[in-house]
Amino acid sequence: MLTDLFHIVIFPGFLFLCASGMTAEYIDRKLYARLQNRMGPPWFQPFADFMKLVSKEDIVPDEANPSMFRAMPIFALTASITAIFYIPLWHVNALYHFNGDLIVTIYLLTIPTLTYFLGGWYSTSLYSKIGAVRSLTQLFAYEVPLLMCILAPALLANTWSLSEMAAFYTNHKWYWAFNMIGFVVSIIALLGKLEKVPFDIPEAETEIVAGTFTEYSGRLLAIFRLSLNIEAITGASLIAAVYLPFGLELPTAAGFAVYLAKLLFIIAIMSLSRTVFARFRMDQMVEFCWKYVSPFAFLQILICLIIKGVWVR
Amino acid sequence: MLDKLITWSRIKSPWIIHFNTGACNACDIEIVAALTPRYDMERFGVQLKGTPRHADVLVCSGPVTKQIKDRLKRIYDQMPEPKFVVAVGSCSCSGGVFDGCYSVESGIDAIIPVSAYIPGCPASPQAIIDGVVKLLATLEKKEEKR
Repeated sequence: MLTDLFHIVIFPGFLFLCASGMTAEYIDRKLYARLQNRMGPPWFQPFADFMKLVSKEDIVPDEANPSMFRAMPIFALTASITAIFYIPLWHVNALYHFNGDLIVTIYLLTIPTLTYFLGGWYSTSLYSKIGAVRSLTQLFAYEVPLLMCILAPALLANTWSLSEMAAFYTNHKWYWAFNMIGFVVSIIALLGKLEKVPFDIPEAETEIVAGTFTEYSGRLLAIFRLSLNIEAITGASLIAAVYLPFGLELPTAAGFAVYLAKLLFIIAIMSLSRTVFARFRMDQMVEFCWKYVSPFAFLQILICLIIKGVWVR
Repeated sequence: MLDKLITWSRIKSPWIIHFNTGACNACDIEIVAALTPRYDMERFGVQLKGTPRHADVLVCSGPVTKQIKDRLKRIYDQMPEPKFVVAVGSCSCSGGVFDGCYSVESGIDAIIPVSAYIPGCPASPQAIIDGVVKLLATLEKKEEKR
């Protein structure tokens, strides 16, 4: 009971995720700044932003539905924190695991997007409604390739549990090399999930003010921002666990260092793509995901099925 | 202790929203120039936000025209407390050469309270950054007095 509480509140639950999420935001912003040839924010910037927002006034618009408006940030935060418990981080076994936790994790990572939709919809502001509808449209574009390309390694490992997948890839070294197409596809899908450039269409600042979050201020906005940061960490952990399953058999300290290196690698790729690309239009994004990304996810499944039939016996 | 932390965070993370109250665009260009990589305001935690709900500092440029008066008030009311207003350029400080014109009210401070004045026609990016830093320094002093 007490250890469960420790896991949920401190490590690797709430506090650890807050710290790592803020660090991820700092690394992202600093890299982005350095790639643009400027200094970038100091290391405490995400924490200062969070503290400032928490101490500010909360405004709930008169037209908005107050209970939904207030509840949505908390749902987003809870869902993105809960997802981490089923992902093997620096050891073969996750904190909790059962057969099928792969689906539960992906489902939990979908909930924040739904809360962005509902929060934006119930703010009843025009801009946030447009942002909300866009974030849902985008969900239909990236969610299918993400699910398919995460199922492919699971097919190869013949299990639906993330921990058993990690064990399989630890026992069968170099099998992860077959899943590299899936790795690229899932990074693209994660960019869409986190609403980062080039898929930041739902909060496109130059078109629709701040999209879903237009009416959010103060504490509620702080929780939404925190949940986005934590979602970045959980999403990156999921990708690291599925596609980069090495170093899991190492002792705890070394394994933890390898885990952080993997996260850093994925975050660096994301901020690089943020620098290189410009924002897509909604129709371009949907077309790109269905025409090019989904077939590659199919190809990944095909490769895994063939290897499973020919090689793994 | 907590008050100190909150004041520190306010000084370290001023998010701004830029609002043109009737300027000739010269000050706007200088404000945008101050946000480019050359001056890199993100060093101080400054970010340009699109919505008044997210912003702490309202950066106004230009004299307040009769048309924009109600909109300026509305934008100001939409910002959550604590909020600050910075008037950039001679016109927004006092009305400038447009003061007394049939379509112009006056400076920003005739409509909403202003925390910092940055004169200049147009105010240079260095002056804008200096003004914002001085505004944040007064925050720190207020904390010490308490």
